[in-house]
Amino acid sequence: MNEWWPYFVEFVTSDRVLSLIRAIFLVVLGLVVAKLTSIMLTRFTNKHLDTHQSMLIRRGSYYLLLGIFVVSAMKELGFNLSVLLGAAGILTVAIGFASQTSASNLISGLFLVVERPFTIGDVVRVGSTVGEILSIDLLSIKLRTFDNLYVRIPNESIIKSELTNLTRFPIRRIDLQLGVSYKETLSVVREILFDVADKNPLCLEEPKSLFIFKGFGESSLDIQFSIWVKRENFLELRNSISEEIKTAFDSNNIEIPFPHRTLYTGSATEAFPINIQDSQSAQSSK
Amino acid sequence: MNTDCVKDVIWWGNKILQPNGCSSLKIGPLLLQVSRYSQEWQISYEYDLDKVEDTNGWEYSANAKPNGALEKSARYVFQRTNDKFIIQPLLADRPVVSRPVTPIHLPVGEQITLYLSSPLWLTIKVGEPSTQLFEIPIHRPSDTWFGPSTVEGELCYASRTHGLLNLEELPQRSHRAITPVLIINQADSELLLERVSLPVPYLSLFGGINGSLWSEAITLVREEGGDMASLKIDKGPPTPVENSVLVCNPRKSSEKNSFYRALNTMFG
Repeated sequence: MNEWWPYFVEFVTSDRVLSLIRAIFLVVLGLVVAKLTSIMLTRFTNKHLDTHQSMLIRRGSYYLLLGIFVVSAMKELGFNLSVLLGAAGILTVAIGFASQTSASNLISGLFLVVERPFTIGDVVRVGSTVGEILSIDLLSIKLRTFDNLYVRIPNESIIKSELTNLTRFPIRRIDLQLGVSYKETLSVVREILFDVADKNPLCLEEPKSLFIFKGFGESSLDIQFSIWVKRENFLELRNSISEEIKTAFDSNNIEIPFPHRTLYTGSATEAFPINIQDSQSAQSSK
Repeated sequence: MNTDCVKDVIWWGNKILQPNGCSSLKIGPLLLQVSRYSQEWQISYEYDLDKVEDTNGWEYSANAKPNGALEKSARYVFQRTNDKFIIQPLLADRPVVSRPVTPIHLPVGEQITLYLSSPLWLTIKVGEPSTQLFEIPIHRPSDTWFGPSTVEGELCYASRTHGLLNLEELPQRSHRAITPVLIINQADSELLLERVSLPVPYLSLFGGINGSLWSEAITLVREEGGDMASLKIDKGPPTPVENSVLVCNPRKSSEKNSFYRALNTMFG
């Protein structure tokens, strides 16, 4: 044992081992400093920014500080950093070409975070998909559709295409498309519709409801009746007002017509001959 | 009509109910029934929308026949119930936008006091200290939006007013509270009053001796240029009912010296 001790002490106090110890110490210190700094930054940014931006800053600061300490540790160990950086640069270009889509998604994600067209919890429509945003991640956003399906949409396609945020504003307009028979008087129909809207407490008094005559349709007079509602009551009002309009029309004998077709044999000829049978003779002739 | 109807002046306040007893309150369009059992309170209610404009007051019966056919009901269970419960009126939980039936013009330098009414809610409380069981509007008013555009503003309740300037003309409606509003036009242009938003959640409720309910008077001063008005809520009951009693505190406490968008705000 005594023979080995001087060799052991010489080994431990040699330059290489000391620099290894220093390198390990730097990495550990880096981990601690990065962790503390990111926690402090999170506390500060939570008050001023939303959760997503706050998370980005926390992760960014953590990896940046850790990276600086790791690089110092590697320098301590004697690595030639310029050669490493050069190799890393070439590797990055190669990876970059291979991962264009991912890089594009990443950058699109950063732009989305800055622009903030939506936040977690908003209901959005992208193309034909409507859903509630569950998370906004680096490469994609995740939606939950109303029939409880999970949809992943890459950030790149959101930046490139049209997106509708259904929950950005507190009130929404419901546009009801109606048709009434040509024999009805529009002023009477209008009065009935406004009366129905007035009686329904969910329908906002202001902005005022709109009665728009859309045109003389094929089988009916086409009308659009637009009413405003608090966003959360959208579905409830759409159902209740449709029912109430139908009831009001029925009690006022306003007809919502089926599609009509009029048949002529010719402008100068007689009508088609029709033979009407009563039900008893119809049964016996079968 | 039930012979036990109590013809007191006010419909709110402390009530007594024996075990297995049932009381009912008819006010405006609301029919409310409260039943007490040894370990539960049952509250049932429904609305009769034909009676919304009913000015015939109210009917309270401390010994009513239970009606199991009311539209909505709820049960509140306790280890033990005691015989007291409180019916308390409340002001609305959102601002109320009053629109005069005929628009009112207020020339430069003029001021006027309007008496505007707002719908009332009621709440049932039981126990010592009192626990709130239940809160409903006596009549659910229509929603409306008050703001400069459909993007900016707040959700309120709507009310129509005849813009009465004279106290004697005020109809006595037991299910609405009255707010005297003093409007002063200090701007350099005529004020066309098409709508006034009353900051109802910041107002208290006072009960007059004749059973009427009032909030504090408020003063809206239209400053130079625009629809912003400085709002001042008077302290204590308004002048017409100086000796009235505080029935309910405001739902929210007001911020001092706040400028308040109370007037008009056109939609573009």
